Amino acid sequence: MIDTQLLISGVIFGLSIGSIYFLTAIGLSLCFGLMRIISLDQLLYYSVGAYITYTISVCTGSMWLGALGGLIVAGILSFAVERFIFLRIYERDIAFTMITSFGILIGGVGVIKAIWGLVPRPVPMPIMTQINLMGTEIPVYRLIVVVIAALVYAGIWLFLNRTITGKAIRAGIEDVEHVEGLGINVYRLFTITFIIAGTLSGLAGGLHAPLIMVDPQMGLEVMPFIFMVVIIGGLGSIKGTLISALLVGQVVSIGSLIYAPLAQMAPFAIMLLILLIKPTGLFGSKLLKR
Amino acid sequence: MMKVFRWWWGIGLAFFLLVLIRVFLPLPFSNEIIIFSIYVMGCSFLLGRVGFISFGQPAYLATGAYATAFYLFYFGTNPYIGILIGVLAGVVMSLIVGPLFVRLRSDYFALVNLALAVIIFYMMQKVLAPITQGDNGLWFLTNMKSTPILDITRPKEFYIFAFLVGLAVWAFYKYLDDTLYGACCLASKINEDKVNFLGYSNFKIRLLAFVIANTTTALAGSLYAVYLGFVSPEMTSAHRAADPVVVTILGGVGTLYGPLVGSVAFTGMKDLISNLIGNWELFIGFLLVFIMLAGEKGIWGSLEPRLKKLFSGKRALKQE
Repeated sequence: MIDTQLLISGVIFGLSIGSIYFLTAIGLSLCFGLMRIISLDQLLYYSVGAYITYTISVCTGSMWLGALGGLIVAGILSFAVERFIFLRIYERDIAFTMITSFGILIGGVGVIKAIWGLVPRPVPMPIMTQINLMGTEIPVYRLIVVVIAALVYAGIWLFLNRTITGKAIRAGIEDVEHVEGLGINVYRLFTITFIIAGTLSGLAGGLHAPLIMVDPQMGLEVMPFIFMVVIIGGLGSIKGTLISALLVGQVVSIGSLIYAPLAQMAPFAIMLLILLIKPTGLFGSKLLKR
Repeated sequence: MMKVFRWWWGIGLAFFLLVLIRVFLPLPFSNEIIIFSIYVMGCSFLLGRVGFISFGQPAYLATGAYATAFYLFYFGTNPYIGILIGVLAGVVMSLIVGPLFVRLRSDYFALVNLALAVIIFYMMQKVLAPITQGDNGLWFLTNMKSTPILDITRPKEFYIFAFLVGLAVWAFYKYLDDTLYGACCLASKINEDKVNFLGYSNFKIRLLAFVIANTTTALAGSLYAVYLGFVSPEMTSAHRAADPVVVTILGGVGTLYGPLVGSVAFTGMKDLISNLIGNWELFIGFLLVFIMLAGEKGIWGSLEPRLKKLFSGKRALKQE
């Protein structure tokens, strides 16, 4: 039905899209796991990362420098938002953190519109070379995106399993009150987690920028897919986020090869199906309180 | 007699103010406010009484609107029957998805509802494009025949109709608050285990609430369809998904007059600010954050205790 060349390029495309989704969704997932907040403003850091990448790559000509700048600016921005807004609402109900973060997202999109305007901006692809894989031309840039996502996953795994702070974060995901009882400053953990989440979202935006046009609504456009990744994987699980991000990426890319409108619909159908069978997502734990 | 009077006077006052709005403000604005407040009422009920936050209200709005539009575009000419069909479609839709959704935790509920809104958006825009004409939307303003008693194809008389419908919806929710069922909803929001122990089924309570709220939303959708005379997938896009939640919070969660106050404030601000700076999203976003930080009570929520104090003070004086 589909010839191999198309299939291979489809799989690579899916992998790269899945990597982007993973980098953005991990922030949402970590924040939910530790702080019990749904932080929709991760999508704002994603857009900011993309826009900073655009600006710096226009000024200096180097997209990699831009992505680095985007990552740093997103990290600083997330730190500021955490200090001024989230620190006050950690105690509140989860729905209210969701609404507040949606407010931040919409307001931030407004600021982006005010600064950069409404026109979509192109970011040049840093590496134009293509390599030959089993008779199919594959853009190297997409492979690099996948490699970066894999490195980030490995880094996060090492951080959570090999460092004291990471172990405290993992313990906090299980039970925050006990961690607090051990004399660990939980709010510092919250800040660290939030900055990591924001930075990774910024990185995702920066890496995604050359693949699509950068426009003010990009955060809102990618939002349903990020939601889906997080829901399928289970809120608060990093392994689950990785697996479901790759799954959603493949479904989006291969679905669009078969029948174009399917690309947008199929992931949602899969999500509904998974929720029917397992209401907490694939790897979500039942222990998490309502 | 006194009790009945007290029961009604709040509603009476609120709608007297609406009549005033109609006198002083242009017609499209008042129509917008009435329909929007019906739209928000469903969301406010879900969020304030049952504790479900739903970012997917546009899905049900579109269900009602498109059901009405299909009828008026392909089959009939009577807008009243169109609205009836829209409401029925809302009931059917929420009965289909309700049993799946209300089992979920509230955070998943919000996400799944948004996903449903996106599914409906793509269905209307791409998959069902031969029937819905995709992004162009369905135009059926000329298809509607004028109706005998209240001719709702004319904006002026539509306002009277929407006004009556709004009043009815309002009275219904007010009535619901006083019944045992309303108390059950609130109890299920606060502590579901205890509700279980008392012998009530959480699932049934929530399902009923879900159906009631989303039928209200579908009603608002079909009113939109009849009023504007066209529908397009734009109304269910994810960008507008937060509007009802924003207005609910703005007006005050779970309060009866919140939706109305919120809609007036929201629609008014949208008009004013979009005249001034062009992107009102910025303002709405920061307003939302500000309200949440200031105590999440909203306009009516913080106004109500003061008004009550004012009025009860006066009454105490009179009795002396």
